[in-house]
Amino acid sequence: MKKFVFLSVLITVVIFFPEIVPAQDLTSLKEAFRNIRSVKAEFLQKRSLQILTKPLLSEGKLFFSMPDSLRWEYLSPLRSVMLRKGNNIQIYNFSDGIWKPELAQAVESRRMVLAEISDWFQGRFDESKAFKPSYSPGPPERVILVSREGINKFINKIEIVLSVRPGVIDRVEIEEPGGSRTLIEFKNVEINSSLPSEVFEKP
Amino acid sequence: MIRRKGLHICLLGFLILSIGCVPMSRTTPSPGSPEDLSHCYAIFPAKPWESVHRIEATLGGSFSSLIGVTKGEPSERRLQSILLSPEGFVLFDAELREDGVAVRKAVAPFDSTAFARGLMEDVTLLFLPPKVNPAIWKKEMDGTMICKWEGLDNSHVEITGSMDSGWRIVRRDKYGEVTKEIVLSGPFLNGLASRIEYRAFKPAPYTLRMTLIQASP
Repeated sequence: MKKFVFLSVLITVVIFFPEIVPAQDLTSLKEAFRNIRSVKAEFLQKRSLQILTKPLLSEGKLFFSMPDSLRWEYLSPLRSVMLRKGNNIQIYNFSDGIWKPELAQAVESRRMVLAEISDWFQGRFDESKAFKPSYSPGPPERVILVSREGINKFINKIEIVLSVRPGVIDRVEIEEPGGSRTLIEFKNVEINSSLPSEVFEKP
Repeated sequence: MIRRKGLHICLLGFLILSIGCVPMSRTTPSPGSPEDLSHCYAIFPAKPWESVHRIEATLGGSFSSLIGVTKGEPSERRLQSILLSPEGFVLFDAELREDGVAVRKAVAPFDSTAFARGLMEDVTLLFLPPKVNPAIWKKEMDGTMICKWEGLDNSHVEITGSMDSGWRIVRRDKYGEVTKEIVLSGPFLNGLASRIEYRAFKPAPYTLRMTLIQASP
Protein backbone atom coordinates (compact mmCIF):
# COMPACT_ATOMS: atom_id res chain seq x y z
CA MET A 1 0.00 0.00 0.00
CA LYS A 2 2.83 2.40 0.95
CA LYS A 3 4.58 1.53 -2.31
CA PHE A 4 1.41 2.32 -4.25
CA VAL A 5 1.03 5.72 -2.56
CA PHE A 6 4.67 6.58 -3.28
CA LEU A 7 4.30 5.63 -6.94
CA SER A 8 1.07 7.65 -7.23
CA VAL A 9 2.77 10.71 -5.78
CA LEU A 10 5.75 10.27 -8.11
CA ILE A 11 3.52 9.93 -11.18
CA THR A 12 1.48 12.98 -10.12
CA VAL A 13 4.65 15.05 -9.67
CA VAL A 14 6.05 14.01 -13.03
CA ILE A 15 2.79 14.73 -14.86
CA PHE A 16 1.90 18.04 -13.27
CA PHE A 17 5.34 19.46 -12.48
CA PRO A 18 7.53 18.33 -15.36
CA GLU A 19 9.87 21.29 -14.86
CA ILE A 20 11.45 19.79 -11.77
CA VAL A 21 12.70 16.83 -13.80
CA PRO A 22 15.94 18.02 -15.39
CA ALA A 23 16.86 17.06 -18.92
CA GLN A 24 19.60 14.48 -19.12
CA ASP A 25 21.23 15.62 -22.34
CA LEU A 26 20.71 17.76 -25.45
CA THR A 27 18.24 15.29 -26.96
CA SER A 28 15.94 15.26 -23.95
CA LEU A 29 16.36 19.04 -23.70
CA LYS A 30 14.97 19.32 -27.21
CA GLU A 31 11.92 17.41 -25.95
CA ALA A 32 11.40 20.09 -23.29
CA PHE A 33 11.19 22.71 -26.06
CA ARG A 34 8.81 20.61 -28.20
CA ASN A 35 5.67 22.30 -26.94
CA ILE A 36 6.99 25.80 -27.64
CA ARG A 37 5.10 27.40 -30.53
CA SER A 38 5.88 31.03 -29.78
CA VAL A 39 7.87 33.17 -27.35
CA LYS A 40 7.39 36.80 -26.45
CA ALA A 41 9.79 38.48 -24.02
CA GLU A 42 11.57 41.65 -23.01
CA PHE A 43 15.31 41.69 -22.56
CA LEU A 44 18.06 43.71 -20.93
CA GLN A 45 21.47 43.52 -22.57
CA LYS A 46 24.66 44.43 -20.70
CA ARG A 47 27.64 44.86 -23.02
CA SER A 48 30.95 44.91 -21.17
CA LEU A 49 33.93 46.14 -23.15
CA GLN A 50 37.45 46.29 -21.77
CA ILE A 51 37.77 49.97 -22.62
CA LEU A 52 34.53 50.91 -20.84
CA THR A 53 34.33 51.40 -17.08
CA LYS A 54 30.55 50.92 -17.09
CA PRO A 55 28.74 48.37 -19.28
CA LEU A 56 26.60 49.59 -22.14
CA LEU A 57 22.94 48.82 -21.41
CA SER A 58 20.38 48.11 -24.14
CA GLU A 59 16.74 47.20 -23.78
CA GLY A 60 14.48 45.47 -26.22
CA LYS A 61 11.81 42.94 -27.07
CA LEU A 62 11.84 39.61 -28.85
CA PHE A 63 9.15 37.66 -30.60
CA PHE A 64 9.62 34.12 -31.89
CA SER A 65 7.20 31.90 -33.74
CA MET A 66 7.81 28.33 -34.90
CA PRO A 67 9.64 27.37 -37.01
CA ASP A 68 11.69 30.31 -38.24
CA SER A 69 10.07 33.69 -37.54
CA LEU A 70 11.96 36.06 -35.27
CA ARG A 71 11.74 39.70 -34.35
CA TRP A 72 14.66 41.01 -32.29
CA GLU A 73 14.07 44.66 -31.48
CA TYR A 74 16.13 47.21 -29.56
CA LEU A 75 14.25 50.07 -27.98
CA SER A 76 17.24 51.88 -26.45
CA PRO A 77 19.83 53.35 -26.76
CA LEU A 78 19.32 52.79 -30.51
CA ARG A 79 15.97 51.86 -31.97
CA SER A 80 16.64 49.04 -34.36
CA VAL A 81 14.86 45.86 -35.43
CA MET A 82 15.94 42.61 -37.08
CA LEU A 83 13.17 40.61 -38.73
CA ARG A 84 13.36 37.04 -39.93
CA LYS A 85 10.63 35.12 -41.68
CA GLY A 86 11.96 31.99 -43.33
CA ASN A 87 14.89 33.02 -45.47
CA ASN A 88 13.77 36.62 -45.64
CA ILE A 89 15.86 38.91 -43.41
CA GLN A 90 15.18 42.62 -42.93
CA ILE A 91 16.90 45.14 -40.67
CA TYR A 92 15.63 48.65 -39.99
CA ASN A 93 16.92 51.55 -37.94
CA PHE A 94 14.65 54.27 -36.61
CA SER A 95 15.79 57.78 -37.41
CA ASP A 96 14.07 61.13 -37.99
CA GLY A 97 10.71 59.58 -37.18
CA ILE A 98 10.87 56.82 -39.80
CA TRP A 99 12.24 53.29 -40.16
CA LYS A 100 15.19 53.21 -42.56
CA PRO A 101 16.46 49.94 -44.10
CA GLU A 102 19.98 48.85 -43.16
CA LEU A 103 22.76 48.31 -45.73
CA ALA A 104 22.38 45.03 -47.64
CA GLN A 105 25.83 43.84 -46.58
CA ALA A 106 24.98 44.35 -42.92
CA VAL A 107 21.75 42.37 -43.38
CA GLU A 108 23.61 39.35 -44.77
CA SER A 109 26.08 39.32 -41.88
CA ARG A 110 23.18 38.91 -39.42
CA ARG A 111 21.58 35.95 -41.26
CA MET A 112 23.58 33.35 -39.35
CA VAL A 113 22.99 35.11 -36.01
CA LEU A 114 19.22 35.13 -36.45
CA ALA A 115 19.19 31.48 -37.55
CA GLU A 116 21.17 30.51 -34.44
CA ILE A 117 18.81 32.41 -32.12
CA SER A 118 15.79 30.80 -33.81
CA ASP A 119 17.35 27.36 -33.13
CA TRP A 120 17.85 28.20 -29.43
CA PHE A 121 14.14 28.86 -28.92
CA GLN A 122 13.40 25.40 -30.34
CA GLY A 123 16.04 23.67 -28.23
CA ARG A 124 17.94 22.74 -31.39
CA PHE A 125 21.34 23.40 -29.85
CA ASP A 126 22.89 20.30 -31.43
CA GLU A 127 22.13 21.49 -34.96
CA SER A 128 24.45 24.50 -34.87
CA LYS A 129 27.05 24.70 -37.61
CA ALA A 130 28.97 27.46 -35.86
CA PHE A 131 29.14 26.05 -32.32
CA LYS A 132 29.83 22.76 -30.59
CA PRO A 133 27.22 22.30 -27.85
CA SER A 134 27.45 20.61 -24.47
CA TYR A 135 24.93 20.24 -21.66
CA SER A 136 25.41 21.04 -17.97
CA PRO A 137 22.65 19.83 -15.60
CA GLY A 138 23.30 22.64 -13.11
CA PRO A 139 21.29 23.87 -11.39
CA PRO A 140 20.63 26.03 -13.25
CA GLU A 141 20.59 23.91 -16.39
CA ARG A 142 22.72 25.38 -19.11
CA VAL A 143 23.88 24.75 -22.64
CA ILE A 144 27.43 25.72 -23.47
CA LEU A 145 28.19 26.52 -27.11
CA VAL A 146 31.89 26.57 -27.91
CA SER A 147 32.83 28.31 -31.16
CA ARG A 148 34.07 26.27 -34.06
CA GLU A 149 36.90 27.39 -36.36
CA GLY A 150 36.12 30.73 -38.03
CA ILE A 151 33.53 32.03 -35.59
CA ASN A 152 36.10 31.86 -32.76
CA LYS A 153 37.63 35.08 -34.07
CA PHE A 154 34.52 36.85 -32.76
CA ILE A 155 33.07 34.65 -30.00
CA ASN A 156 34.77 32.21 -27.62
CA LYS A 157 31.64 30.65 -26.18
CA ILE A 158 27.98 31.21 -25.43
CA GLU A 159 26.26 29.96 -22.28
CA ILE A 160 22.50 29.62 -22.43
CA VAL A 161 21.05 29.44 -18.94
CA LEU A 162 17.65 27.75 -18.80
CA SER A 163 14.70 28.56 -16.61
CA VAL A 164 12.95 25.96 -14.45
CA ARG A 165 10.00 26.47 -16.84
CA PRO A 166 10.53 23.98 -19.67
CA GLY A 167 11.56 25.56 -22.93
CA VAL A 168 12.28 28.95 -21.42
CA ILE A 169 15.67 30.68 -21.59
CA ASP A 170 16.56 32.83 -18.58
CA ARG A 171 19.71 34.47 -19.89
CA VAL A 172 22.48 34.23 -22.47
CA GLU A 173 26.12 34.97 -21.71
CA ILE A 174 28.48 35.61 -24.62
CA GLU A 175 32.24 35.63 -24.12
CA GLU A 176 34.52 37.16 -26.75
CA PRO A 177 38.27 36.98 -27.34
CA GLY A 178 39.97 39.82 -25.50
CA GLY A 179 37.70 39.66 -22.45
CA SER A 180 34.59 41.49 -23.70
CA ARG A 181 31.27 39.98 -22.58
CA THR A 182 27.56 40.33 -23.29
CA LEU A 183 24.82 39.31 -20.90
CA ILE A 184 21.22 39.16 -22.16
CA GLU A 185 18.58 38.65 -19.48
CA PHE A 186 15.02 37.81 -20.51
CA LYS A 187 12.01 38.87 -18.47
CA ASN A 188 8.21 38.79 -18.73
CA VAL A 189 8.48 35.71 -20.93
CA GLU A 190 5.18 34.63 -22.48
CA ILE A 191 4.95 31.21 -24.06
CA ASN A 192 2.56 30.23 -26.84
CA SER A 193 0.67 33.51 -27.02
CA SER A 194 -0.83 34.41 -30.37
CA LEU A 195 1.52 36.55 -32.47
CA PRO A 196 0.24 38.17 -35.69
CA SER A 197 2.45 37.41 -38.71
CA GLU A 198 3.06 41.10 -39.44
CA VAL A 199 5.16 41.27 -36.25
CA PHE A 200 7.80 39.43 -38.31
CA GLU A 201 7.24 41.33 -41.54
CA LYS A 202 7.03 45.03 -40.72
CA PRO A 203 9.14 47.23 -38.46
CA MET B 1 39.92 100.37 -83.56
CA ILE B 2 39.37 96.65 -83.82
CA ARG B 3 43.11 96.17 -83.24
CA ARG B 4 42.95 98.40 -80.13
CA LYS B 5 39.92 96.53 -78.78
CA GLY B 6 41.79 93.26 -79.27
CA LEU B 7 44.72 94.68 -77.32
CA HIS B 8 42.40 95.65 -74.47
CA ILE B 9 40.94 92.13 -74.37
CA CYS B 10 44.47 90.75 -74.32
CA LEU B 11 45.43 93.08 -71.47
CA LEU B 12 42.26 92.22 -69.58
CA GLY B 13 42.96 88.52 -70.07
CA PHE B 14 46.53 88.98 -68.89
CA LEU B 15 45.30 90.91 -65.85
CA ILE B 16 42.82 88.16 -64.95
CA LEU B 17 45.50 85.50 -65.41
CA SER B 18 47.92 87.51 -63.31
CA ILE B 19 45.41 87.78 -60.47
CA GLY B 20 44.74 84.06 -60.76
CA CYS B 21 48.44 83.34 -60.38
CA VAL B 22 48.96 85.49 -57.31
CA PRO B 23 49.25 83.21 -54.27
CA MET B 24 46.35 83.45 -51.82
CA SER B 25 47.16 86.18 -49.35
CA ARG B 26 47.98 84.64 -46.00
CA THR B 27 46.80 86.40 -42.91
CA THR B 28 49.72 87.55 -40.85
CA PRO B 29 49.58 85.59 -37.63
CA SER B 30 48.44 87.86 -34.85
CA PRO B 31 47.98 85.77 -31.74
CA GLY B 32 45.32 86.90 -29.32
CA SER B 33 45.77 87.53 -25.65
CA PRO B 34 47.42 84.65 -23.74
CA GLU B 35 44.52 84.40 -21.26
CA ASP B 36 42.12 83.57 -24.13
CA LEU B 37 44.29 80.80 -25.60
CA SER B 38 42.96 78.09 -23.27
CA HIS B 39 39.41 78.67 -24.63
CA CYS B 40 40.57 77.32 -28.01
CA TYR B 41 40.94 73.94 -26.29
CA ALA B 42 37.61 73.97 -24.43
CA ILE B 43 36.05 71.30 -26.67
CA PHE B 44 38.90 68.85 -26.24
CA PRO B 45 38.84 66.73 -23.07
CA ALA B 46 41.96 67.48 -21.03
CA LYS B 47 41.98 64.33 -18.86
CA PRO B 48 41.52 60.62 -19.67
CA TRP B 49 37.93 59.97 -20.73
CA GLU B 50 35.61 57.50 -22.39
CA SER B 51 32.40 58.03 -24.30
CA VAL B 52 29.61 56.11 -26.00
CA HIS B 53 27.76 57.70 -28.93
CA ARG B 54 24.78 56.68 -30.98
CA ILE B 55 25.88 57.21 -34.60
CA GLU B 56 23.58 57.67 -37.56
CA ALA B 57 25.72 57.46 -40.69
CA THR B 58 24.64 58.48 -44.18
CA LEU B 59 26.96 57.59 -47.02
CA GLY B 60 26.06 57.64 -50.70
CA GLY B 61 22.32 57.46 -50.01
CA SER B 62 22.71 54.51 -47.63
CA PHE B 63 21.92 54.77 -43.95
CA SER B 64 23.37 52.86 -41.02
CA SER B 65 23.02 53.00 -37.24
CA LEU B 66 26.03 52.25 -35.10
CA ILE B 67 27.34 52.64 -31.57
CA GLY B 68 30.70 54.38 -31.23
CA VAL B 69 32.87 53.81 -28.17
CA THR B 70 35.92 56.03 -27.76
CA LYS B 71 38.54 56.23 -25.05
CA GLY B 72 41.12 58.99 -24.92
CA GLU B 73 44.43 59.66 -23.17
CA PRO B 74 45.01 63.30 -24.18
CA SER B 75 48.44 63.66 -22.57
CA GLU B 76 49.76 60.77 -24.69
CA ARG B 77 47.62 61.68 -27.74
CA ARG B 78 46.18 58.16 -27.65
CA LEU B 79 42.68 57.25 -28.80
CA GLN B 80 40.93 53.91 -29.02
CA SER B 81 37.82 53.74 -31.12
CA ILE B 82 35.33 50.87 -31.39
CA LEU B 83 32.33 50.66 -33.70
CA LEU B 84 29.52 48.34 -32.64
CA SER B 85 26.41 47.18 -34.43
CA PRO B 86 23.15 47.99 -32.59
CA GLU B 87 23.24 44.41 -31.19
CA GLY B 88 26.73 45.01 -29.80
CA PHE B 89 28.93 43.15 -32.30
CA VAL B 90 32.36 44.72 -32.65
CA LEU B 91 32.70 45.80 -36.28
CA PHE B 92 35.84 47.87 -35.95
CA ASP B 93 38.42 48.34 -33.21
CA ALA B 94 41.51 50.48 -33.67
CA GLU B 95 43.93 52.51 -31.64
CA LEU B 96 45.72 55.70 -32.55
CA ARG B 97 49.18 55.85 -31.01
CA GLU B 98 52.25 57.97 -31.46
CA ASP B 99 53.56 55.52 -34.09
CA GLY B 100 50.34 55.32 -36.12
CA VAL B 101 47.06 53.43 -36.27
CA ALA B 102 46.84 49.84 -35.00
CA VAL B 103 43.71 47.99 -36.17
CA ARG B 104 42.71 45.24 -33.72
CA LYS B 105 39.54 44.06 -35.45
CA ALA B 106 37.75 45.04 -38.65
CA VAL B 107 34.74 43.33 -40.19
CA ALA B 108 33.51 44.02 -43.76
CA PRO B 109 32.59 46.67 -44.90
CA PHE B 110 34.81 48.36 -42.29
CA ASP B 111 37.96 46.36 -43.09
CA SER B 112 39.80 48.59 -45.57
CA THR B 113 42.94 50.53 -44.74
CA ALA B 114 41.35 53.70 -46.13
CA PHE B 115 38.38 53.32 -43.77
CA ALA B 116 40.66 52.83 -40.75
CA ARG B 117 42.77 55.86 -41.64
CA GLY B 118 39.71 58.01 -42.38
CA LEU B 119 37.87 57.04 -39.20
CA MET B 120 40.87 57.68 -36.97
CA GLU B 121 41.39 61.06 -38.69
CA ASP B 122 37.76 61.93 -37.95
CA VAL B 123 38.07 60.86 -34.31
CA THR B 124 41.31 62.82 -33.98
CA LEU B 125 39.74 65.96 -35.42
CA LEU B 126 36.87 65.61 -32.95
CA PHE B 127 38.71 64.77 -29.76
CA LEU B 128 42.38 65.80 -29.99
CA PRO B 129 43.54 69.39 -30.48
CA PRO B 130 46.21 70.07 -33.12
CA LYS B 131 49.71 69.48 -31.76
CA VAL B 132 50.76 73.13 -31.98
CA ASN B 133 49.19 76.33 -30.69
CA PRO B 134 46.79 78.14 -33.03
CA ALA B 135 48.32 80.73 -35.33
CA ILE B 136 45.47 83.13 -34.59
CA TRP B 137 42.91 83.34 -31.82
CA LYS B 138 40.46 85.97 -30.77
CA LYS B 139 37.65 86.37 -28.28
CA GLU B 140 34.69 88.38 -29.56
CA MET B 141 32.65 90.74 -27.37
CA ASP B 142 29.86 88.14 -27.05
CA GLY B 143 32.33 85.51 -25.84
CA THR B 144 32.65 83.68 -29.15
CA MET B 145 36.12 82.27 -29.69
CA ILE B 146 37.77 82.19 -33.10
CA CYS B 147 40.84 79.96 -33.33
CA LYS B 148 42.77 79.04 -36.43
CA TRP B 149 45.49 76.45 -36.84
CA GLU B 150 47.71 76.07 -39.89
CA GLY B 151 48.93 72.66 -40.96
CA LEU B 152 52.27 71.85 -42.55
CA ASP B 153 50.48 71.01 -45.82
CA ASN B 154 48.81 74.45 -45.87
CA SER B 155 45.54 72.96 -44.61
CA HIS B 156 43.65 74.85 -41.91
CA VAL B 157 41.53 73.99 -38.90
CA GLU B 158 39.21 76.68 -37.60
CA ILE B 159 37.25 76.41 -34.38
CA THR B 160 34.60 78.98 -33.56
CA GLY B 161 31.95 79.21 -30.88
CA SER B 162 31.37 79.05 -27.16
CA MET B 163 30.03 76.64 -24.55
CA ASP B 164 26.73 78.55 -24.60
CA SER B 165 26.16 78.75 -28.35
CA GLY B 166 27.92 75.54 -29.39
CA TRP B 167 31.01 75.11 -31.54
CA ARG B 168 31.92 74.66 -35.18
CA ILE B 169 35.08 72.99 -36.43
CA VAL B 170 36.01 73.50 -40.08
CA ARG B 171 38.87 71.84 -41.86
CA ARG B 172 40.04 73.35 -45.16
CA ASP B 173 42.48 71.88 -47.64
CA LYS B 174 45.42 73.78 -49.13
CA TYR B 175 43.06 75.31 -51.71
CA GLY B 176 40.87 76.78 -48.98
CA GLU B 177 37.99 74.39 -49.71
CA VAL B 178 36.06 72.96 -46.79
CA THR B 179 36.72 69.21 -46.46
CA LYS B 180 35.11 68.62 -43.04
CA GLU B 181 32.61 70.58 -41.01
CA ILE B 182 31.55 69.64 -37.49
CA VAL B 183 28.86 71.28 -35.39
CA LEU B 184 29.02 70.54 -31.66
CA SER B 185 25.94 71.25 -29.56
CA GLY B 186 25.58 71.34 -25.80
CA PRO B 187 25.07 70.64 -23.03
CA PHE B 188 28.72 69.66 -22.67
CA LEU B 189 29.66 66.84 -20.28
CA ASN B 190 33.33 66.99 -19.24
CA GLY B 191 33.96 68.89 -22.47
CA LEU B 192 32.08 66.32 -24.58
CA ALA B 193 29.23 67.65 -26.71
CA SER B 194 25.79 66.04 -26.34
CA ARG B 195 25.22 66.19 -30.09
CA ILE B 196 27.65 66.22 -33.00
CA GLU B 197 26.87 66.71 -36.67
CA TYR B 198 29.88 65.68 -38.76
CA ARG B 199 29.85 66.44 -42.48
CA ALA B 200 32.67 65.31 -44.74
CA PHE B 201 32.78 66.78 -48.26
CA LYS B 202 36.04 65.48 -49.70
CA PRO B 203 37.19 63.03 -50.95
CA ALA B 204 33.90 61.11 -50.34
CA PRO B 205 30.89 62.90 -48.86
CA TYR B 206 29.24 61.45 -45.76
CA THR B 207 27.39 62.62 -42.70
CA LEU B 208 27.57 61.34 -39.13
CA ARG B 209 25.01 62.37 -36.54
CA MET B 210 26.32 61.48 -33.11
CA THR B 211 24.42 61.59 -29.83
CA LEU B 212 26.25 61.13 -26.54
CA ILE B 213 24.81 58.16 -24.65
CA GLN B 214 27.28 57.86 -21.79
CA ALA B 215 30.49 59.55 -20.73
CA SER B 216 33.06 58.90 -18.01
CA PRO B 217 34.50 60.11 -15.75
